Amino acid sequence: MADENDNERIDENQRPDKMFTLKKWNAVAMWSWDVECDTCAICRVQVMDACLRCQAESKKDSYGKQDCVVVWGECNHSFHYCCMSLWVKQNNRCPLCQQEWSIQRMGK
Amino acid sequence: MSDTTNRRPNFSNLPENVNNRSHNALNIKPTAAKKLVIKNLKSEPKLPDDYREQTWKKLKSAVLAIQQSKPNEYSLEELYQAVENMCNHKMAFLLYQKLYSLTEQYVAHNIEQFLTESMDRYLFLKKMSDTWQAHCNQMIMVRSIFLYLDRTYILQNHISSIWDMGLELFSKYILLNTLVQTRVVEGLLMLIEKERQGDQVDRTLLKSLLRMLTDLQIYDKAFEQKFLQATERLYAAEGQRLMQELEVPDYLAHVDKRITEENERVIHYLDPATKYQLIHTVEKQLLREHVTQILQKGLDQLLCEFRLEDLSLLFNLLSRVKNGLVDLCSAFNAYIKKKGRTIVIDPEKDKTMVQELLDFKDSMDNVVNNCFHKHERFGNSLKEAFENFINQRTNKPAELIAKFVDSKLRAGNKEATEEELERLLDKIMVLFRFIHGKDVFEAFYKKDLAKRLLVGKSASVDAEKSMLSKLKQECGGGFTSKLEGMFKDMELSKDINQAFKQHLTVNSRDLPQIEMTVSILTMGYWPTYQPMEVTLPDQMVRLQDVFKDFYLSKHSGRKLQWQPTLGHCVLKASFKLGPKELVVSLFQTLVLILFNDCYELAFDYIKEVTNIEDGELRRTLQSLACGKARVLIKIPKGRDVQDDDRFRFNDEFTNKLFRIKINQIQMKETTEEQKATEERVFQDRQYQIDAAIVRIMKMRKTLSHNLLISELYIQLKFPVKPADLKKRIESLIDRDYMERDKDNPIQYNYVA
Ligand SMILES: [Zn+2]
Ligand SMILES: [Zn+2]
Ligand SMILES: [Zn+2]
Repeated sequence: MADENDNERIDENQRPDKMFTLKKWNAVAMWSWDVECDTCAICRVQVMDACLRCQAESKKDSYGKQDCVVVWGECNHSFHYCCMSLWVKQNNRCPLCQQEWSIQRMGK
Repeated sequence: MSDTTNRRPNFSNLPENVNNRSHNALNIKPTAAKKLVIKNLKSEPKLPDDYREQTWKKLKSAVLAIQQSKPNEYSLEELYQAVENMCNHKMAFLLYQKLYSLTEQYVAHNIEQFLTESMDRYLFLKKMSDTWQAHCNQMIMVRSIFLYLDRTYILQNHISSIWDMGLELFSKYILLNTLVQTRVVEGLLMLIEKERQGDQVDRTLLKSLLRMLTDLQIYDKAFEQKFLQATERLYAAEGQRLMQELEVPDYLAHVDKRITEENERVIHYLDPATKYQLIHTVEKQLLREHVTQILQKGLDQLLCEFRLEDLSLLFNLLSRVKNGLVDLCSAFNAYIKKKGRTIVIDPEKDKTMVQELLDFKDSMDNVVNNCFHKHERFGNSLKEAFENFINQRTNKPAELIAKFVDSKLRAGNKEATEEELERLLDKIMVLFRFIHGKDVFEAFYKKDLAKRLLVGKSASVDAEKSMLSKLKQECGGGFTSKLEGMFKDMELSKDINQAFKQHLTVNSRDLPQIEMTVSILTMGYWPTYQPMEVTLPDQMVRLQDVFKDFYLSKHSGRKLQWQPTLGHCVLKASFKLGPKELVVSLFQTLVLILFNDCYELAFDYIKEVTNIEDGELRRTLQSLACGKARVLIKIPKGRDVQDDDRFRFNDEFTNKLFRIKINQIQMKETTEEQKATEERVFQDRQYQIDAAIVRIMKMRKTLSHNLLISELYIQLKFPVKPADLKKRIESLIDRDYMERDKDNPIQYNYVA
């Protein structure tokens, strides 16, 4: 359908060949932890939020997160680091799959 | 007026004067005196036999002359000496008796003139006053002659002084006569009633007679009671009548006038001791009896019409009567609740609700400060009433207050200077304080803040920060942590973009010449947006992927989700009449660059290529072809975009500006969206309850159920039912954050 209009694209050869050129682009993206389940099974708060104990402390003047990061086990299950470090003191197994807990990676 | 405070007989302070020999009131020649004094001193102490009779004769003639207002033939000195001599020769008792009976005869004789059948009341009173005044003057003169008797014999024997004797006799023979007393008192009451009706009366006469009653010590019994009864009757009737006849402001002015008048009456002629009961009676009959009606009939009108002077008067008058202010305060409270409810409850008035609330608060503050003397009870009641009515409509006021703040913080709001804006924000915070669902406010505030931050539409960073710190001060850091996180994200994004730019120069790849910046938002801080997949041109996809790889290499464990609805761009456009720069949304961009390849495109085609959601695409096309700046031409013309519409590049486009912003048409906030926001608020509340419980238990270690609940109510910034709190407690017990005490089931222990 474009062709039939071609002849109407008038005579101005000196004009740039494009009507519109993208000069600036402000894109927006949302980041979150790359986890299978977005709720921490230990405290049942979303992993994107600080864990329950950190929220309860709600340190003043610090920006929301309070260094409450996410930790992934070898089993690929993820929890708040705070929650998991308390958990392993009692039971060194993943609360979800009962595999022995070992840290695969931590969020940053 | 110093003597009005003294209830003692009013001539009792005269002896000093009387002692002065040259007293003008006395019709006596002082010159002959000296000789006689010298003679007396030289003469033998022995008296002639007829001394007593001769001397008394002299004294008697002097007293009679005084009583009949005739000239006295002896000098005062001589008479005084005569009294002294008689006293010194043990004749004082006799002298006193003789003087007593002489005075008694005269006073008793005086009654006659007051007993005649018919006499004009006024003349009667006048005559009484004159008689009294004459009596007083005579007694002063008599006493100055008998002063020696007064100071020696009378003083030593504790009998009535000459002055008091005169009063006693006057009382006994004249005023204790029932007929005379009745006539005097009724005459007085009649005069006062006349004055109350607005007539001029002889206040000096009133004062003289009332003074007489006081001096004779019959003011209370004979007059005061009857006077107060008459006052009560008069004002009871007047109150009833005027409450019917007058508007409340006029009635109040009348009462005020009455109270002033009665106070003047006390100053001018009543005994000061009557004041308390008199004013009390007036207040009771004109005010206390009508408080309910005054408030019912008049308060709403006064407040509504903002009649400050009348309100001040109302306050001042009601503060005089028992419970007057209590009643005024509860009526004031009821008015605010009633009026306030009409502001918040009607969805038709949502557009103006916040401004109306601010105005209403201002005017009521004004009333409390200027008319109610900043009385604490009223200040508190005002707050209670606002808190009460503003929460009668769930969520909406909170939402509208948030939007109102947005309208003030958004760029382009030129109506206020920084200081004015700051003051306005403070006033809004006062309203915010009344809101129970503070988190509803936060949810809506956050949505607007996101828009301001992402589109760079904030009017002033200082104002944004100031508002944030106000919220923080009011609700604590937990409340604002996410909002603060949003600001932090914007700052971090700047750093990331800087680093990304560097990254690109080092790893110079064959990338399109587009200046790309990315705002990286932390999920959870920001509002959630509908995920929307669109098809980007290849070069944009490539750029996006390069950024993504760069970002994830810096932040492990994260994932990125692009938000095309929030993106915006600057396009260079070349029209026949010259180049322009267009500031547009990402969706508008995607549509426009299609016209680089074709001059005219069909709606279906654009939809297929861009993959923009149907409604969103129609709104986008509308903004480009039907708005103020029409860079596209819609075929056929018309406001709504139809399925078989076609669009053409508008090569003739012209505009006086070089840089043109084409506003994306905002979808009306649907009720579902509204619901979704409220749902998220509710979800968030559960977390906040949990966090608060853990926080309290961690601090207290062990706590009874009731104490825990009441501490929670202090900490939580939103309304919540006890049953919901119970559920959260159970859930935390399940999750081993706390446990029931083994011995006491209504006590909890913290589990570390
Ligand atoms: Zn957790
Ligand atoms: Zn934590
Ligand atoms: Zn696992």
